[in-house]
This record gives sequence, structure tokens and C-alpha cells, in this order.
Amino acid sequence: MKKILVVEDEKTLCLLYAEELGKEGYAVTAAYDADAALAELKKKSFDLIITDIRMPGKNGVELIAQIMGLRKDIPIIINSAYQSYKEDFMTWAADAYVVKSSSLDELKTKIKELIGR
Amino acid sequence: MSELRKDPISGRWVIIATERSKRPDDFRPARGVGEAPASAGFCPFCRGNEGKTPPEVFALRDDGTPADSPGWRVRVVPNKFPALNRGTQASLHTRGGIFEWMEGVGVHEVIIENPEHGQELADLPVGHVRDILGVFAQRIKTIEEELHYQYVQVFKNKGKEAGASLSHPHTQIVATPIVPKRIEEEIYGARRLFRSFKKCVFCRIIREERESGERVVHLNRHFVVIAPYASRFPFEVTIFPLRHSPFFADLNEEELGSLALTLKTTLIKLKETLSDPAYNLVLHKSPNPVLARKRWPDIDRHYHWHFEIFPILTKVAGFEWGTGYYINPVPPETAAGFLRKK
Repeated sequence: MKKILVVEDEKTLCLLYAEELGKEGYAVTAAYDADAALAELKKKSFDLIITDIRMPGKNGVELIAQIMGLRKDIPIIINSAYQSYKEDFMTWAADAYVVKSSSLDELKTKIKELIGR
Repeated sequence: MSELRKDPISGRWVIIATERSKRPDDFRPARGVGEAPASAGFCPFCRGNEGKTPPEVFALRDDGTPADSPGWRVRVVPNKFPALNRGTQASLHTRGGIFEWMEGVGVHEVIIENPEHGQELADLPVGHVRDILGVFAQRIKTIEEELHYQYVQVFKNKGKEAGASLSHPHTQIVATPIVPKRIEEEIYGARRLFRSFKKCVFCRIIREERESGERVVHLNRHFVVIAPYASRFPFEVTIFPLRHSPFFADLNEEELGSLALTLKTTLIKLKETLSDPAYNLVLHKSPNPVLARKRWPDIDRHYHWHFEIFPILTKVAGFEWGTGYYINPVPPETAAGFLRKK
């Protein structure tokens, strides 16, 4: 089973992602901020990381820069409500940028493209 | 997909991201985001991280080195998450009333100027600056072969105050399906004055500036750098070619080398006079030649390409937004005097 780390400060969204992506056959671990995500990454291996950008503490772009120092090979999807972060070229360290919407279809499609089912 | 919307009164076009933000607080400035990280520990533009960019569309690289690997000197890649997307011809639509829009079709490329994170344009050897300018010309020519792109804008944001999100030196290219209002205004002004003077107004400005000399910052065989008479910003400078041409991509080899020297000299002067300021550099050139000659048959005679460089020393605030007037606390004659001495 492919393992996904979801970094998202909105706990309801984490639960929703765990439920929806679980139905697709993925094992989801949630981290509510960047430090918790880095701690998870040191403990376990993941096949994919989905991260928000605007979070308390370190933001998602800072988190991605730190992940690149640890593991460059894990695909990363940015999942932000705000698409203008695309102007920040540090977001290029991620493999995809999905703007949050009421449907998870685009996110699920990107996950399949990057790691399969 | 984004769309271009036209303000019916001013004629100004705006790129609107149709994927809307969910919450107003998403627009609060986020700590860290938008800053140029000096030591983030990772940079997608650095040598060795080629896999983190989209595949290169052009590169100057050592013989035998494969694309998207180290061995490059200048590298051009499409924007990974562009504001405008490549597509077929964009069309003008209306929403039944006076509101017009077009599909957000365009090209957005990044020119990574060198593999070293800390080497700015002013620090590079003249030969390397010449290579970069040659890449500008190559990309303009290539993109203009697709006739639905009416204008190719080359611009550089250096430093976070100038809008750079990453400190690795880079220039951007955005091609749009319409001619930007700023360029149209210059073309209309140049046409009007061409009819009065029977000569390119830019050539006349260059002649008068050279005669007076008080706003000339640098002059060589092919180029002149001046602090414009009605500079909007302190230490604003313009680089004009002495040979009249509306098309940047028409530069010959000798002129390209001379431009590299001129640009580097200008940037060093700004760096030394103003303690390495953030700046914006923009290229103003004719729109796509095929389309421009149809729309303005005499554009070859009345328009004159140039670079504008704006050090970021002041902020555009309420008065400027409200009136369109700019308050410049440094007369261009004074600015030119300081820059000439360096």
C-alpha cells in the first residue's frame, strides 16, 4: 500500500483526505504543521507528500526546502487555496501544484500520475 | 485556466486566475513566502537540480552534455506552474455586454542565467552576459514564429523588493496574445511624433541627450545610457541602441558584444552607487514583426527598442496610483552625475 504524508493545519481537511484517499487504497498519515511533518519523515518512509503552504510555524515552501535537504526523491504535491504562490520559484521543488477546490478529483489524478494506485 | 479581462474604460488587460482563492485570509502576507531565500538549502535553478525544472527548451551547454543535466551555462525552461498556458490562437469574447475577455493563452519561460546561485548579471564575465543576451534574442525569434503571440516581454526582477521569489539569477519571458497597453502607448506616441518630426522620436531624444550630455550616464560606439528627462523613479536609466531598430532580435554579433559591456557597466554603476539595489529590468521592443507591420505599417521607422532599468528605492503609493503622476526625489541630471563618476 502506497503511503502518503498529508501536511495540513486544518484537521477536518486531514480527516477528509484520509477518508477519501483511503478509499483509493492509500495509507494516509497526517501532520498538522511542518515540524510534525519533518518528524514523521525521520521516523517513516513515504511515497508522496501533500502539503499546504499557509500553516502556523514554518510555511509549506520552507518545509519543501527542508525536505529537499533530506530526500529529493519523494514526490511532493502543493495543495493550497492560493494559486499565486506559483510565482514563488521555490515551489518548483514540488512535482505538482493543485489549487484546493470543492472536488478532490484533480488531487487524486495527480497522485495517480505520480505514484500510481 | 486563467483568462485575460479588458477594462472597458482604460483598455487595460488583466490576467485573472479563475481558480479562486477560498478565503480572504489567504491574501495575508505569509512569513517567508515571497522572499528570496539566500540560504534555503535548496534551489531548483542550481546545477545538479535540473530534474526539478520542466525539460529545458534551450540551453547553451558544453559539447556532449545531455539536456537537463549539468554542463550548461545558460538554460531556458518553461515555467513549471505558469500564469498563462501555451495554446492555440486566443480569441476575443464578450459576455453579452461591454465586458471582453480572452483565453489565458501565452508562454512563460525562465532563463536561468548561470549555474551559480550567487553570481548576478553584474558579476558575470562580459562574454557570459553576451551569451545571455543572445539567448533573449533566440527565444524572442522562436516564440514570435507562433503568430498568435503578439508580444514577447523579457524582464528581470532582481531582489525581493523587485518581486524576485528566488535569489538565483534569472530572467523571465512572458508572451501574450495581445500587445500590452504600455507598449501600445509608446507606439502611438512615437507615431504621433514621427509625423511631426519626420524622424524617429527616440533617435531625436538620443541626439539631444548626446548634445547636452547632462543626463548621459555612459556612451560607446553602439549604445547610450541615459537617465530619462522625465524619470519616474530615482536613478532610473534607459539603454538605447544608437542604430535605429524596433527589433531587439536584429542585433548583430558586434552589437551584442557591445550591449553586454554596456549592460554590465550600467549594472555595476548602479550596484556601486546604490549599494547593490533591487531592480527591475524590462525590454521594450516592437510587437511580433509580422503582426506589427500589418497594424502599424511604418513601425520600422518610428519605434526604437530599448532597455529600462528601475532600481527599487521608493514605493509607488496613493498619489501615484490615484493620479498617474510620479514624484521623483532625485533629478535625473543629479542621478546621471553620480552614475557617470562610478
